[in-house]
Amino acid sequence: MLGAHAIAVGPLGMLAINISLLTLVGWALLRAERGLPDGREWTLLAMLAIFGIFGRVLLEPLPNIQPVTVLVLLVGVHMGAKRSIALAAVIALGSNMLMGHGLWTLYQALGWSLVGCLGAFAATHLNTLPRIAGAAALCGFLFDWVISLSILHTLGPSMLPAYIIAGLPFDLLHAMGNLFFAAWLASPLADIINRHQGVTLEATENVQVTA
Amino acid sequence: MSETVALLILAVALSALMWGIVSADNRLKALSAIWLVFFVVSASAISHEWARMTSELVSEEGEPHYGLPDLWDGQQVVCIHFPDNSSHPDYSDGRHHIDYDGTDFMTDSDSNATGACVGGFSGYENGFDLMLDATNVTGGKLEVGYTVSEWGPYVTSIGGHEPTGDAYWALYHDGAMAMVGIGDLVLDEDSVIVWQVDTW
Repeated sequence: MLGAHAIAVGPLGMLAINISLLTLVGWALLRAERGLPDGREWTLLAMLAIFGIFGRVLLEPLPNIQPVTVLVLLVGVHMGAKRSIALAAVIALGSNMLMGHGLWTLYQALGWSLVGCLGAFAATHLNTLPRIAGAAALCGFLFDWVISLSILHTLGPSMLPAYIIAGLPFDLLHAMGNLFFAAWLASPLADIINRHQGVTLEATENVQVTA
Repeated sequence: MSETVALLILAVALSALMWGIVSADNRLKALSAIWLVFFVVSASAISHEWARMTSELVSEEGEPHYGLPDLWDGQQVVCIHFPDNSSHPDYSDGRHHIDYDGTDFMTDSDSNATGACVGGFSGYENGFDLMLDATNVTGGKLEVGYTVSEWGPYVTSIGGHEPTGDAYWALYHDGAMAMVGIGDLVLDEDSVIVWQVDTW
């Protein structure tokens, strides 16, 4: 969706530009976060929403690979279900304002909210990097299957299993992308979130992520 | 698919190397990056292979693609049906379905006809061009013999079978006998060409 404006840039070139932009956004947000006083939980959530929206839009050329699922999972684990649902809905709507908004936005928000709720529910068990990475990979399949439910609006339930089976390679890509983002984001994001969490924690505990 | 296998071997080798030289703290980062790149690069091949494995035959009678794998929906297909008394030695157990790259991925043993369909093509406008390219992917098993006259090419044999007497290779396009020869046949994006032996 992003053009190179009068310069011929191939798909790989555009992907490189997009990844550079996302890296720049991530770096700028990280620097800005370091300047924040401790306890700015909602400011941090807004920054994560910006990163999620940019991540989804800029990585659109890669099939089913984006950081949103891992972000909402980690927010669910460290900040609880309510904040992960808020993040999920904002990212789904915000990114779809650029990529196309429709009925699917609702299913995406529901899917990511479910991922965040599962993260919050299993927070005490997701206390090591391999466990978080494994959960993130599984959530890739879960999210995609929730999205697949949207075909029930146009096709009968009998088509759903075939639809899900046909999409398994794309689910696998989502899972691999989640594994990658979890491996790279889980520990630093846990440190950042823990610094901003005040005394008004939800039922979840602070989970120290260890490699 | 051979490229995907080569990439898989490379990814496994790189993973083993990283496992040995990267510290335990960063191992997951390195391995996830390697496998993410592998899956992104191989996504198209893996997806197509999966589609072949899960493909089902089109069941809507009256559709030109009826009885063909749904993988080929909207694409061009060439089918060769051999006579019952002269089935092709490689395709005698039913109707084989061969993808554009020569992969024989599905055999319909319940089909009324024995032979082979080669599909997954797009962009062909002329029937003869499609037929020659489609039969070529079988490695000579469906070699086409033909003569060229002022009326265009006339198919005399396919896959070594040359009809005799009042029998001939008849051309069907989208379920109906073609009104023109294969050289003049104008294709649609989802055309299905069938060759079968009829008699005058």
